[in-house]
Amino acid sequence: MTTQTLYRSYIIEEYHLTREPYYVPVGDEVELFEAAYKAKIPVLFKGPTGCGKTRFVEYMSYRLGRPLTKVNESSGGGHNLPLVTIACHEDLTASDLVGRYLLEGENTVWIDGPLTRAVKAGGICYLDEIVEARKDTTVLIHPLTDHRRILPVEKRGELLEAADGFLLVLSYNPGYQSALKDLKHSTRQRFVAIEFDYPPRPIEAEIVRHESGADEAVAHQLAKLGEKVRNLKEHGLGEGASTRLLIYAGRLITQGIAPRRACQVAINWAVTDDESVQRSIEEIISSIFE
Amino acid sequence: MAEESPRSLAYLREEMGRFPAALAAEFQRALDRMPDSITEAQTVVWAGVGVEIAAQTVRSWEAASQYYAVSPSVVVCMPFRYFARWAECGSSLCRESPTLAAAFFEASPGTMARLRSRHIESWAGLGRSLYKGTWKSSTLACKFFAASPDLVESLTFPQLERFVSFLAALSHRSSDLSLECLGLGRQIFPLMGDDKDAFIGLASTLVETNWREVKTFFDAGARALPRIDPGQRMHFLRLARRLVGAGNANVPMLMLDMSQSLFQIERKHHAAILALAESLVEVSPAAVPEFVKGTPLVLDKISLNQIQAWFDQGVTILRQNPDGGMAYFKMESARAEEALESISSRIEFERVKDVMEMYCRALAGADVKLAVTDDLVEKNIGWVSNESPSTEGSTVYVPTVVDRYLTKNENFEWLKVVSTHQTAHLEFDSFGFRFDAPSRLFDDARHTVEERKKKLAEEASDDRSLPRQDYATDAQRFFNLFEDRKLALDIFTVVEDGRLDSRVKTEYWGIRRPYARVQLHSLSERPSVKDLPAREALVEFLVRLSLQQHRGLPAPKPYLREARRIARIAGKVLSPRAAVEDVAEATLRIYAIISRIPNEKLAPEEWEDVDVDESGEEYEDAEGMDQLLRQMGQGLDMDLRPGDEEEFESSQEVGFRGDFKPELVQLLAQLRVQEEQGGQEGGEPISQEALEELLKNSAELDLEAVQGEVQNAAGFANNILQEAGASLPDAAQSGQGPPAHVHEDGGELEPDEPQTFVYDEWDFRADDYKPRWCVVRQKTMMEGDPAFYGATLHSYGALVGKVRRQFELMAPETFRKVRKLEDGEEIDIDDVVEAMVDIKTGVSPSDKLYWRRNKVQRDVSVAFLLDTSASTAEAIDEGRRAPEDWGAPDDPVEYMAWLRTRRGEAVKRSYKRIIDVEKEAIVLLINALEAIGDVYGIYGFSGYGRENVEFYTIKDLDENLSDRVKRRIDRVAPLHATRMGPAIRHATTKLAEQDARTKLLFLISDGRPQDRGYSREGVEKEYAVHDTKMALDEARHQDINAFCLTVDKNGHDYLKTMCEDIGYEVLDDINVLPERLLQLYRRLTM
Repeated sequence: MTTQTLYRSYIIEEYHLTREPYYVPVGDEVELFEAAYKAKIPVLFKGPTGCGKTRFVEYMSYRLGRPLTKVNESSGGGHNLPLVTIACHEDLTASDLVGRYLLEGENTVWIDGPLTRAVKAGGICYLDEIVEARKDTTVLIHPLTDHRRILPVEKRGELLEAADGFLLVLSYNPGYQSALKDLKHSTRQRFVAIEFDYPPRPIEAEIVRHESGADEAVAHQLAKLGEKVRNLKEHGLGEGASTRLLIYAGRLITQGIAPRRACQVAINWAVTDDESVQRSIEEIISSIFE
Repeated sequence: MAEESPRSLAYLREEMGRFPAALAAEFQRALDRMPDSITEAQTVVWAGVGVEIAAQTVRSWEAASQYYAVSPSVVVCMPFRYFARWAECGSSLCRESPTLAAAFFEASPGTMARLRSRHIESWAGLGRSLYKGTWKSSTLACKFFAASPDLVESLTFPQLERFVSFLAALSHRSSDLSLECLGLGRQIFPLMGDDKDAFIGLASTLVETNWREVKTFFDAGARALPRIDPGQRMHFLRLARRLVGAGNANVPMLMLDMSQSLFQIERKHHAAILALAESLVEVSPAAVPEFVKGTPLVLDKISLNQIQAWFDQGVTILRQNPDGGMAYFKMESARAEEALESISSRIEFERVKDVMEMYCRALAGADVKLAVTDDLVEKNIGWVSNESPSTEGSTVYVPTVVDRYLTKNENFEWLKVVSTHQTAHLEFDSFGFRFDAPSRLFDDARHTVEERKKKLAEEASDDRSLPRQDYATDAQRFFNLFEDRKLALDIFTVVEDGRLDSRVKTEYWGIRRPYARVQLHSLSERPSVKDLPAREALVEFLVRLSLQQHRGLPAPKPYLREARRIARIAGKVLSPRAAVEDVAEATLRIYAIISRIPNEKLAPEEWEDVDVDESGEEYEDAEGMDQLLRQMGQGLDMDLRPGDEEEFESSQEVGFRGDFKPELVQLLAQLRVQEEQGGQEGGEPISQEALEELLKNSAELDLEAVQGEVQNAAGFANNILQEAGASLPDAAQSGQGPPAHVHEDGGELEPDEPQTFVYDEWDFRADDYKPRWCVVRQKTMMEGDPAFYGATLHSYGALVGKVRRQFELMAPETFRKVRKLEDGEEIDIDDVVEAMVDIKTGVSPSDKLYWRRNKVQRDVSVAFLLDTSASTAEAIDEGRRAPEDWGAPDDPVEYMAWLRTRRGEAVKRSYKRIIDVEKEAIVLLINALEAIGDVYGIYGFSGYGRENVEFYTIKDLDENLSDRVKRRIDRVAPLHATRMGPAIRHATTKLAEQDARTKLLFLISDGRPQDRGYSREGVEKEYAVHDTKMALDEARHQDINAFCLTVDKNGHDYLKTMCEDIGYEVLDDINVLPERLLQLYRRLTM
């Protein structure tokens, strides 16, 4: 009897990218990241939502996981760099990251948290939107991010030394958090910061085209729309339309939705609830799309 | 009279001798004038009647003499048979009253000329019918005769009869009135057409229903009717009559009002409006005048065809809710405004400003503002047209109203196209022209031409020591290359606008279609090319080309080659790669070609239609071009023209493209930069002289056409410098004069001073808001004696301490323990036990074993609204009268006097007033609130009338407790009336700005809301109560908890309505207010 698994599951540290993620470098971020990785300097990504931070880290983990000289194409002849992504939220505690004891029958068993796993496996640990996490978690990463490169596991009385390939990467969106949620300087100053922004129009158009499968003209118009809508930031819009939203719009268009409608649902209504701003964006959309 | 033996003339003369000599003399004069056709016998008869009349009474000889005097002119009007009857009529009238007869005779010549002979007796009878034997009635009858010539002229006889019977009927009521109406009738009947019947009929109706109005009716008729389209006057009167019939009061006034409104709209619309009004009578007669009065305003916004829809909607509302319908037609309802807005096809700037401003910002990627053209013109810095959209580099100016097309959509699209075009100037950098920047599509010729010119200038003037820079901006430097700046600017404008249009269309596909439509429309408005002289024709040729006319462009035959050449040059900048520098190069070349063409009229056969390739075909400078440019460099561009050519007129502006003034805009930008940098960096500053020089030479400025007193370059320069420097807002113009008195029935209000706010008011009868109805004037309470605060605390001694402790206790209570967490401060032993039990019994345990103390931060903002109306001056001990009885006069002047005496009284009082207790309560409250650290504001409100709602700040929400606040409390005093709604709305606005989790609005009052025009029409207190309720509901929708505390014992009845879903409490004993207030507050915020 054969059962076919309907889903794929990975053990955290075994998850690595097998196909090259699509990423178009805008500046020298690839070189910077490579250098930081080799020098074992933790990296902080700054930039608005949906501009490609996560995609970049995926891309880099794939890229760094590959041997520099491609000896054997077929059998992924490298050591595959695991990528552990943790989305931070308000209730994310230190034990969520490090691990906890669980009851199993009469006994308790220790389960490693994702951070511990990444430290052990020597992968890239990517903490997305770090400021959302509780303050104690940010302190937890301190010893990991300086010369010590150790993770104290208090409950077990252990100190874990990070494996060679381990790198901590944080992402941080300085724009929309309140002042309360700013990153502490003692934390910030442990990282090199790479700033991300939405790519310039031609690159963004290319990205949209590739990701959404929309034709070139549509991709160009979407990129133009993105640029125009971002001009409204601070004029009623908290955050401009992200590349991700542009791609969504592009995908809807590829699926046969009329462009104006696609932009309305994917971009306009996604970025704002303010009616007058919506009407303005509506006009921009109708100017750009037929 | 001929029955008696014919007396001889001599005998009659003898008879006359018995009377005063004047009679005989008059007779003799008349006899001489009698026509020859009268026989002797007839003469005797005629003379005999006179003697007969004279003999009747003592004074009747006067009538007789009058009889003789008029006879010659009467006798020619009719056969003698009738003449005799006329005389007989007079004679019999004289038996009634000689005066009457005299008046009859006097009026006869004028009347007989127009009256049918057979009506003579009836006419005399009419006069007699008015005569009742009294002195007054005699006057009336005489006046009637005197007026007869005019009346007969304007009325038919049956009408006259009806008019007289109206007069007779009226004279029963008042002879004087009747007399006046007679006079007025004489004046106004000539003004009327076929509608006299209606008018007289209406007047007769009025005599029966409301005779006192008759005179005003005539008055109104005299003034109203001329304002109305002659053909529609009858309709108007019929309408008025139906209004009378429907029981409307004071119809004459309504007629005047309605006619005034009709006068404001075009006469050809009267018929339609009156027809609508008449159909409205059946639904609601009372709404008719309001509808008619509103029409000028409505027609201002929508067309006559659309008014039906607007009207129908009003009628629908009227049927459902008469008050709502009235408010609708009065335009005192938000629904009416919405209906108008949705029907109207025009676009009002104010309504789309925010949307379009953001649109422009997005496109330009800069902080662009949007304003109306009037603002730009007002600045008097060179722009003169209120109609033309434009931009001065940071603001896009568009017309106030767009009403060019039939549908709203088209109008909006026009505005969008216009805004897009103006924004394109910014987005595609029209004003960023740099003389030194290379062009992309042409070989640069600017420098060559400039150098040649310079050399030429140097040769001309031997003075080599002035290599001074003679331009302030790059645009000016560029235009300096041209001898004929006007032509150069025209070409530059067309080519640049063409570039932008084409660029917009390639960048923004969505707007292509409306854009093309607007272009096409502009094209249709262009002047005919063939009427223009040659050079202008070629500029026009370019304009049309830029508006996408490629086929059948008329061009002068002698210059076909030139036309094709400039078309190719202009076509080149349509490429998306083209920048403003390319436009400059193109301008240079086109100018070189066109400027030498003589501006002469051409015969009709000297034209040929040209087709131009749409695809900007490759243009390369031909050899000739170099030659042309060289000539330009030598300043020969004007010299080659014939002297007798026509003066060059700038081409007519393309409406949607508006004004384009690159030199001025660059100048402004430069001056602004200079201003910001304090004139130190960024090159040498522009001097006043340089500025004037620029302005004098610039073709963009038409010094003649600018309004205002400043007509020279120097004045202009000042304005411009001011504009560049003073982009900061002007000093606040605070004219703190007394607010103008606004009538309750007036329209919307606008905030006129700083610190004034306008709010809507709820009209429950109309079930709709009255838009912008109340003005709240926010003031800071004056400061008084600081001792009051301390004294109050002292007098409440024990209570103060207790309250403070209670409030301090509130703070720690706000920690809350949260159980059953996966992670927390500590393990909850109960849960662990439970989990162990689960494990033992083999059930999988919950892992939620922790608890944590969540610190719930107390986050309260509260606004206390204190009623400081005059009624709070009531003494507490006095049995409190119902507030309705306080009897404030309605007239403002009387009211103030009344108020002064009341307040005067209050000073003398030694007992406590309500307000005093309120003040004490505040002191205690502040003391308590300081203990728990809530954000709180204390405000007093009062006011008189909707234009003057006073809102006093005692302590603002963001303000800290200070001695000033303490001093202000002392000055809280009873003021005027209680208009709660706006005060609540204002407090709500303030609270809404607060960033607190719990927001409270505490209303402390002493009675029902009331104000002039608020508790309308005496009994209808409901209005105020409902508005207050609505204001409280609005607060609730903004997550503000409201609570009303009143000391009015009768408060329950209205508070039930007012605070339907809101907490309220009625205090029986005002003295417990301070304590109770604190208790309530604690309870509400826990």
